[in-house]
Amino acid sequence: MIQFAFDPATNPLNNNEWSFPLLECIHITGFALSIGTIALVDLRMLGLAMRSQTSAVLAKTLAPWTLVGLAIMLISGPMIFSSDPNMYLHNISFRFKMVALLLAILYHYTVHRWAVYREPASAAGKIVAVLSLGLWVSVVAGGLFIAFF
Amino acid sequence: MSLLSFCQWLQSIGFLSDIRESALVYPVIMTTHLSCIALFGGMILMTDMRLLGLALNKYTVTEVVSALRPWKRVGFCIMITMGVLLAGSEAEKYYHNPYFWMKMAMLLMVGVHALIFRPNVYNRTEEIDRAPAIPGRAKAAAVLSLVIWLSVLSLGRLIGYYEGEKPEAPVRAQLQVK
Repeated sequence: MIQFAFDPATNPLNNNEWSFPLLECIHITGFALSIGTIALVDLRMLGLAMRSQTSAVLAKTLAPWTLVGLAIMLISGPMIFSSDPNMYLHNISFRFKMVALLLAILYHYTVHRWAVYREPASAAGKIVAVLSLGLWVSVVAGGLFIAFF
Repeated sequence: MSLLSFCQWLQSIGFLSDIRESALVYPVIMTTHLSCIALFGGMILMTDMRLLGLALNKYTVTEVVSALRPWKRVGFCIMITMGVLLAGSEAEKYYHNPYFWMKMAMLLMVGVHALIFRPNVYNRTEEIDRAPAIPGRAKAAAVLSLVIWLSVLSLGRLIGYYEGEKPEAPVRAQLQVK
């Protein structure tokens, strides 16, 4: 088993009782922004929302917000991780989350991107959208289950 | 019957005790609650950003508000249902939890916000779209909406940190609870 030779007690994050909950709130806001904007594009691909313009137009205008959300997530996440790295490394839900997150980000900037900009929209686009929603919900689920399993 | 004894009775109801005692159902309900923040909270954020003129500028305010309104209603219903199940199953604990009551107060503010801004912002989006610049009242509605919803989110997270009257435990130990 990998172990970090790191004493969490030396981490300044663990010396203030507000820093951890505050980081979690920032983390949740970050994924509301990133996953929320991705989900909006998914709903458009499914023909369920924002139908006045194409998926491509919607995705293009939301892309910077998705990126800001991802940045917030990917900065606050590792900070949360640093509060107790060995616990997270050995946590099965955390491991699941990391795999799901990696897949979700790769999927978003490859397959999902291809389907969004494809004109005209096809049935395949709908499958891509459903998979995207599923992947991101898996990431959220993995994160929550860290505290339980 | 006092509110406290009502809470004790509530959490003793069969299916609510079952939720509390289940190792799987409780986190699954929480996951649903959290996923809804991602899906529908994002819609609230983007509507506010549109009213501030910071996002979705290729769409009219009318398009954004009317396209997302039904989805936000769906999300709100799911959120409330999951919230009632979570709070109901631990009603006695929640009764003593100040963050829970602060969150309820902020949810009340959501209603007040709607009463104030629905007539002259959300139901008059065509007027906002015709105006040369986004009116101040629309921007005020957006900023207040952001403040209220981010408070609801943060207070919701803090509920999990309140440990009652016991002496303060280290942060890490609190995370391990459940």
